[in-house]
Amino acid sequence: MLLYPEGIVELNETAHEILSRCDGRTLGEIVCELAEEYEADRAAIAADVHETLADLQQRKLIEFT
Amino acid sequence: MNRHLGRHRPIPATATDSESPRPYALLAEITYRCPLHCPYCSNPVAAGPLSAESKPRPLRRGRRTATANNGELTTEEWKRVIREAAALGVLQIGFSGGEPLARRDLAELIRAAREAKLYTNLITSGIGLDDDRVRALRDAGLDSIQLSFQSDESSLADEIAGARAHERKLDVAAKIRAAGIPLSLNFVIHRRNIDRLPQMIDLAEALGAERVELANVQFYGWAFRNRAALLPTREQVDRARDIATAAKARLAGKIDIFYVLPDYYETRPKPCLNGWGQRYLTVNPIGDVLPCPTASSAIPDLRFENVRSTRSRLDLARIGKLQPIPWNGMDAGAVPELSAKRNRFRWLPLSGCVADRQRREHRSGMRVLAQSRTRGRGIARNKFMQPTARLDIS
Repeated sequence: MLLYPEGIVELNETAHEILSRCDGRTLGEIVCELAEEYEADRAAIAADVHETLADLQQRKLIEFT
Repeated sequence: MNRHLGRHRPIPATATDSESPRPYALLAEITYRCPLHCPYCSNPVAAGPLSAESKPRPLRRGRRTATANNGELTTEEWKRVIREAAALGVLQIGFSGGEPLARRDLAELIRAAREAKLYTNLITSGIGLDDDRVRALRDAGLDSIQLSFQSDESSLADEIAGARAHERKLDVAAKIRAAGIPLSLNFVIHRRNIDRLPQMIDLAEALGAERVELANVQFYGWAFRNRAALLPTREQVDRARDIATAAKARLAGKIDIFYVLPDYYETRPKPCLNGWGQRYLTVNPIGDVLPCPTASSAIPDLRFENVRSTRSRLDLARIGKLQPIPWNGMDAGAVPELSAKRNRFRWLPLSGCVADRQRREHRSGMRVLAQSRTRGRGIARNKFMQPTARLDIS
């Protein structure tokens, strides 16, 4: 869950898997890990990761550093 | 304060209607005292029934209570409420009022909320927030401050606030940023300032706000009394919506803009807080536990639990009781309406004209109340189904 002033976002499993890895790792590393763990296509994972993080960033819930 | 009952963004539907209420946010109205006197204040109007003078009167304004701490919960009582709310599953707390800075124990309450692992937000006019106090609140663990502005420039803003406040607010915004606390701005929008929306958004950008709430005034408390002066025209509302939409797109990723829909230009009432007491709880300064921030003043005949009452503990069963009857569309089959007798509630079966979907979305009975009252006679059930059910003052 993400909390912000007077609001809350309940993350789905995918978003949770992505965000819980946002601890200093690069996007590339996160994509790699997820692709390995879920034995999925890297391009598809990368698209999901970018879409999820971009959406959260647009809503000022995360920042890229 | 002008609390926005339909403001909240939809919660993802992980909960079903049949689940018990599971409030995640507590609005702690820790005092009604306030240095400002905004005509749109949603705090209860302390005075009795409207008097019937015929001569025109100036805008009536929200005001501070006569006695400083009259009946307010003590520090220890608030700390207990905070702990109990957290135990209930509440995840965040908004300190509001009135002006919450009027309480000297605010930092202590914030600390208690952080100890209970709550996300903490301060909803404030900023008046009374100096450097020391900002740092004290930050050090207590405050996560975010939502600062109200009445307009983008001081002459109009101060006129609306009934106090010389605007310049001080600008200063306070800078202090908040300097202390590293995330800043949100709140503008209550009404006829007098709605045409200055672009300038307000510019101000938010200049002040480094992360979020801006452009909140069309909602007509409770003082705002309801002053509705004739506050209600914008349809054209103003349309223009404002377009401006807000464009700004939201333009500033995406920089400022999160939230445009609170106006009350009286929708075809139907808005869902009220995602269902009374289902997702949000309010505890007012004297400890009443409310299913929505204005429940006690807007609906005089309802009674509420008080945290001071014997064996008082916030628990799900009690919160369930906050709803006068089950009202979630699953098993209720009824919505509240005004009976022909003024200010008396009774509960009537839903007629076929109200869709199931509306029942599920908990359309607010309070809007029905306001409109029925305005017309000063019986039930106006169909009125709120009509497009542009605007408030006409007779």
